[in-house]
Amino acid sequence: MLSIIFIIISAIFIPGVIAKIKSKIGGRRMPSVFQPLFDIIRLFKKGAIYSPTTSIIFKIAPIIYFSSVLMAAFFVPMAGQQGLLSFDVDFVFFAYLLALGKFMMIISAMDTGSGFEGMGANREALYSMLVEPAFFVLVGTLALFTQNSSFQDLYVNLHTSTQLSIIIGIAALYVITYISMVENSRMPIDDPKTHLELTMVHEVMILDNSGFDLAIIHIASWLKFAIYGTIISNFVVQSSWPIYIQIVSYLLIQMGYASTIGILESFSARNKMGKNPQWIIMLSAIAVVTFLTTLIITQKIILN
Amino acid sequence: MTYLFIILYAITLVYFALSERVKKFIWLLAIQGIILFGIVFYSLNEIEIFDFIFILLETIIVKSLLIPSFLNKVRKHNQLKREDEPSIPVFYSIIVVVISILISFLLSNYLNDIHLHTQYFTISFASVIFGIYFIIIHKNIYSHLVGYLIIENGIFLLSLAVGNVMPLMVNLAVLLDVFMGVLVLGIFINRIGDTFNSVKLDQISKLKD
Amino acid sequence: MEIIIFKLAIILSILIFLISRLYQIYWVYLVQIIIIAVSSLWAIQCLFISDSSFEIPLMTFMGSPLLIVIDKLSAFFILVINFTMMTGSIYAKGYLKPYLENKSKLEMAFHLFNLLWLHISMLFVVMFRDALSFLIIWEIMSLSSFFLVIFENDKKETIKIGIKYLIQMHIGVVFILLAFIIAAVQSGSEFSFDGLSVYFASHNPFFIFLLFFMGFGIKAGFIPLHSWLPHAHPAAPSHVSGIMSGVMIKLGIYGILRVLTYIHHDLFYIGLFILVISLISGLIGVSMAIVQHDVKKLLAYHSIENIGIIGIGIGLGVIGIAVKIPILAVLGFAGGILHILNHSLFKSLLFFTAGSVYKQTHTRNIEDLGGLIKKMPKTAIFFLLGALAISGLPPFNGFISEFLIYSGMFKSLQVGDLFTDIVLLFSFTGLAIIGGLAVFCFTKVFSIIFLGNPRTEKVEHATEISSSMFIPYYMIGFMIIAIGLAPVIFIQPIGAIVNIFVGNTSAIEQVIPTLNNISISSAIFIVMIGILFFLRALQQKNQTIKQQATWGCAYKGANAGLHQYTATSYADNFGQLAKQLVNVKKDFKEFGKEEIFPEKREFETHSSDIFENNLITKPSDFVIKWFEKLAVFQTGKIQHYLLYSLVFLIVVFLLTFLNWI
Repeated sequence: MLSIIFIIISAIFIPGVIAKIKSKIGGRRMPSVFQPLFDIIRLFKKGAIYSPTTSIIFKIAPIIYFSSVLMAAFFVPMAGQQGLLSFDVDFVFFAYLLALGKFMMIISAMDTGSGFEGMGANREALYSMLVEPAFFVLVGTLALFTQNSSFQDLYVNLHTSTQLSIIIGIAALYVITYISMVENSRMPIDDPKTHLELTMVHEVMILDNSGFDLAIIHIASWLKFAIYGTIISNFVVQSSWPIYIQIVSYLLIQMGYASTIGILESFSARNKMGKNPQWIIMLSAIAVVTFLTTLIITQKIILN
Repeated sequence: MTYLFIILYAITLVYFALSERVKKFIWLLAIQGIILFGIVFYSLNEIEIFDFIFILLETIIVKSLLIPSFLNKVRKHNQLKREDEPSIPVFYSIIVVVISILISFLLSNYLNDIHLHTQYFTISFASVIFGIYFIIIHKNIYSHLVGYLIIENGIFLLSLAVGNVMPLMVNLAVLLDVFMGVLVLGIFINRIGDTFNSVKLDQISKLKD
Repeated sequence: MEIIIFKLAIILSILIFLISRLYQIYWVYLVQIIIIAVSSLWAIQCLFISDSSFEIPLMTFMGSPLLIVIDKLSAFFILVINFTMMTGSIYAKGYLKPYLENKSKLEMAFHLFNLLWLHISMLFVVMFRDALSFLIIWEIMSLSSFFLVIFENDKKETIKIGIKYLIQMHIGVVFILLAFIIAAVQSGSEFSFDGLSVYFASHNPFFIFLLFFMGFGIKAGFIPLHSWLPHAHPAAPSHVSGIMSGVMIKLGIYGILRVLTYIHHDLFYIGLFILVISLISGLIGVSMAIVQHDVKKLLAYHSIENIGIIGIGIGLGVIGIAVKIPILAVLGFAGGILHILNHSLFKSLLFFTAGSVYKQTHTRNIEDLGGLIKKMPKTAIFFLLGALAISGLPPFNGFISEFLIYSGMFKSLQVGDLFTDIVLLFSFTGLAIIGGLAVFCFTKVFSIIFLGNPRTEKVEHATEISSSMFIPYYMIGFMIIAIGLAPVIFIQPIGAIVNIFVGNTSAIEQVIPTLNNISISSAIFIVMIGILFFLRALQQKNQTIKQQATWGCAYKGANAGLHQYTATSYADNFGQLAKQLVNVKKDFKEFGKEEIFPEKREFETHSSDIFENNLITKPSDFVIKWFEKLAVFQTGKIQHYLLYSLVFLIVVFLLTFLNWI
């Protein structure tokens, strides 16, 4: 129960922190941390415009997307407390729920009959396909330590040895940070600030959504940030610490995660569009290398 | 703790397969030097002060500072293009690098000799294989030099694998190899660059006469 | 008693030739209902009620009695076959209506007769154990499906494709026959499936298994034995494609499973072999599916991919038995067998909806379609259901079978040894990539056919199909949602089947709480969607909802259909990555440097199947070229032929004279 509350709390703050860091580095005046929240409330007060080319798919897709992300958030544990729902091998359900959300967003983008949205939908489909193996191999690395494979059990068993968790944690941290950048369509895959359609992936898919739909799409992307931040923090926060230290360190890590994203976004340029697939497959390659090294650690590869 | 450095070294190999910019190659070589220092530091049982200074010299100073700055000078002097595109798409190179790391790990599993420290054998073999592959796919002499240096890093690790105490002779020999290679090729590239205005391999092979 | 009813139904099927065209389909329904009722009764009795297999004598065939043997594996297949054939023939009634005017009574009767006999022969394939009768009924199955495929024989291509299909099926039969003969001769046992157990007990099973795999694999469609699939399925009418893709290719899997029930040792390399071929089939199948324009060819390549997923499950199950990890064995087999049922459901649904689209628009090329959801909304929703299910997305049935396979893999990572772990690494990476590519492919197909603006005028006249064709949609859709939301009901009989291979049913009990949790989570998910709909309706009650055209960057010049993404451009992204594999060739003329006002240009892309090119087309072209040289001897003049016989006589005489023969 605790984890979903904190995920929602961090989801509210993370986009504000990212915007603040980016504007500070860019030498601009910082917006308030609550500015994204005000934007959402403004959207909730507006009506909607639908295009006559679209069909019922366009109306139901944002709702299914938001539900899938919220549902996926229910599974994520926080530092030893299990998520709201938890069962064996639930991370597969988690990953495929997110894939369901992406499927619906892709077809809703194609529904508008616009060439721009088609471009974005196409790239989104390819990149999310390429980043799937990275997530599964990383979780496979964690599953090498235990037979009970629910999300929470994987982390609990990782923390049984500190040396282990540092080694795997560092490599996994790196990969998961970049996976979250790919999933949320941030640099260096996609630039959320440019509104040139030839260079966008995610922002262009939601060009024609408005009002309530746009608001829940934004909230869903914040939730995704919070979910990945929680996954990252679980590598560091141990379940053996007292509960208030866990909460404090969790919030600190979320702030750190948001700041890192802000810094990475300010200082890196977006990849050339054609180089994106190979960049994403590099993440899977690093995940596989981590898996192989974990085989050494668990002494399946016998070295002396 | 050595395992952390093994992962980091393998990650630099993956980045070598991924990147196309020449500056990035130099940067990655420097990082590899630092990682090698970390591996050596954590694995030597007893360290004589002289050996320790020698290794420090070799890894950090030579591999991470001297050679990269020399390469940088050569790059600027010849005004090399920023990017060097390989002849096999990068996508497949990354798959090749992962498979070579996998094979090298499996190989070191099956070599269970009491005289070998197979811990270091894992990535040294992968490094050698990848260095050779790197030379095969790039067409620029400069990149060949970089590939040669990757192979030398792999051999350095191999020398760790076969000995407990770092034998001075092996290290001197490796150092000499590196010096000669870098110096000769560097001067070579400078001279060719001056006379010829290009260091592309296909144009140099026309020099066959 | 029931066997007499069964035999009666078979004899009744011949009488279809006497009935007029309009009522033939009802006669088919009559015969089918009898056959389905009797066989399902046997199947349910075996699977749910009693605990063992039973035998029924059918007739006396060449001196010895011919037995029908039904065990749990056969019972499962009987139920799968019956369900898909039932939906197929209900769909066929509406689909065949436009053909009633053009075809003669004999042609229609023959087509429906073959439909019935396909059903009967498929049922007998899973019920016979004696090798000779098995092969004969397998042959009847291939023949009847051949006649069904060449239904539209006014197109010359169709007949060529049908003959290619028949030849490949016969090659498969040769392999199976060879395997049976070698096994029977080398072990001195009887010429049947049961005789195999004697052979496998004393010899290394790999070689004979390989022969069986080649034979059954041609039917199933594993790469590289798959070349008939992408041609036969588009050429056949849609109800036949749905049935063939839904159940007929699964009979290849049945054959492999049946052979596996007799092998109890030396299983590791067999399992590894199945796993590797299935991973390759899955990845290559879906990659080739992405670049197709013909919707039925695309679906045919997807069948290859799903056969790959079934094979991954079975391969992992066999490996689990070999390395003694029970959880891997049980969950691998369970996932693979459940996927057999799931695939027959959603693939037949997809073929039926694609067939309806073809019926209304008369084109299979997806580049000509678009915006069909406004004209055929119900068909679109069912196609979307099939697409979501085949991509393995929750809360539908495809997810459940893939989940079972993933569970098996992740839970055995810790206990496996090094080689097993590396194999598992490749397997779950492969399965994840296959899932991602399936999402890529089906977003493309669904969006290009149904969403956006119409691309050509072929869409203008499409209307929704007749109501009788909806009945199979509802039936299959109900099953898809039922298996997705309540998988626990279906897992018990599957656990009984897995027991045949593994011998320890308790492991399947472990996964029941997880499946219950999945059902609860799916239910919560659906409730959440409902709540959000309600909230949105609440918010939008007081707001203005306007309609305005899609934002086109203020460009008003283009035709609405042309301004959107095409299927080729969608797939091009991926085609660049897998260039060597999918072999997409682009034909166009470049603009010249002096061409200031360019003329009209055409752009075509073709993709070809590299396996078919290298394994079949090139060797057969080579052989034909050499045979054409030999054709010089065939002059057509009788004097030359008499000369040949004279020369032959002289040569024989000479050789006898010299004592050489």
